[in-house]
Amino acid sequence: MRRADKKDEPAVYQRVVLKNASPYHYLKVCLVVEDDSTRLSAVELKQFIITGLNSLYGEVGAALTFDLLKYDEDTLTALLRVYSRGLVKLWSSLTLLGSYQNQACAFRVLQVSPYLLALTGNSRELQLD
Amino acid sequence: MSVFMDLNVNYTADKSRLQSLIETAAHLGFSTVAINYVFEPTAKKKQEIPSPTPISELMDSLPVVQGRSRPIRVLNRLTIVMSDASHFRPTAVEYRRYDLLAVQPTTEKLFHAACMIYDVDIICISVTEKLPFFFKRAPVNGAIERGLVFEVSYSAAIRDSTMRRYTIANAVCLMETCKGKSVILSSAAEKPLELRGPYDITNLGLLFGLSEGEAKEAVSSTCRSVVLHAETRKTASGIVHTVKSCSQSAPADCEAPPAKRARSQLTE
Repeated sequence: MRRADKKDEPAVYQRVVLKNASPYHYLKVCLVVEDDSTRLSAVELKQFIITGLNSLYGEVGAALTFDLLKYDEDTLTALLRVYSRGLVKLWSSLTLLGSYQNQACAFRVLQVSPYLLALTGNSRELQLD
Repeated sequence: MSVFMDLNVNYTADKSRLQSLIETAAHLGFSTVAINYVFEPTAKKKQEIPSPTPISELMDSLPVVQGRSRPIRVLNRLTIVMSDASHFRPTAVEYRRYDLLAVQPTTEKLFHAACMIYDVDIICISVTEKLPFFFKRAPVNGAIERGLVFEVSYSAAIRDSTMRRYTIANAVCLMETCKGKSVILSSAAEKPLELRGPYDITNLGLLFGLSEGEAKEAVSSTCRSVVLHAETRKTASGIVHTVKSCSQSAPADCEAPPAKRARSQLTE
């Protein structure tokens, strides 16, 4: 995306077209742990996800690069960015993660999109009336 | 597109846990779940087939499915773990109390019989042990032709990494034989945290060797065809659904602009 070049020009409507498939996919995930009081730091969460990748795909899978863009410690909700090529791997390892420090846990994948903007709202939570 | 279903949620005597399972399933977006009663006859003595608890006794009000604003549908299902041909009694009255009937054959002979002869809906594939026999093309094709489906459940893969290996290996082996047709993916969950959302399962299906379309069918339209197959099994002939269509013929008055009117009116 280009930034507006000149400051004195008014903001204009800009249309961005991606000719190829978007390079990244973004996931909004929420970790649910059996014991509600469990809190993870961002580093611990990323380490936990890497453990999951490692157990399902081995060292090669754990080498998959993904980023933790945003993380809310209170709700355990995180925004992940991953190359589209690695989406299936990352997602399936999240699905098969079942325990965190001997507690049952589950990753609820709330939203997946190739556009970060799409994760600002969730159409399933709209109240239509 | 048809709705998502999870046709295997394990029955537990613990009512509150079962309720929270069904609530979680509804929250994740499943429109139909089936409570699974497992019956494992032993060779020695005759055992009673468990009778299903009526849904109304389990829950007072069914939870609303996320995004669909209608209550979840709950079915009862019986799974018979077979190690001998006498374990399946085709005429048993007890089977009629269940909406769905599944068998889990443990030998090749029984697998063949289940595919070709038995009047059931689902054939479960063992996911907790190395495949006890090889899937042959002939019985699998026979089963597909008769409208039966094969079930792979994934919660064992979440619990344990050895089981995960067996689940993936057995599933891939099955997919090679049936080419992704007539397969359903279900949870066999005992706890709410073992349930996964429908899109997660679709993604998991890719791991089992399904294509994206087949994986989505495995949680939606194939499940629907099983439920319909189970209904036909009960009636011995067939079922017909009628839907009252509300669409009246488009009003032929002049309110719509000419561009939106039907072509025939314009050329009069």
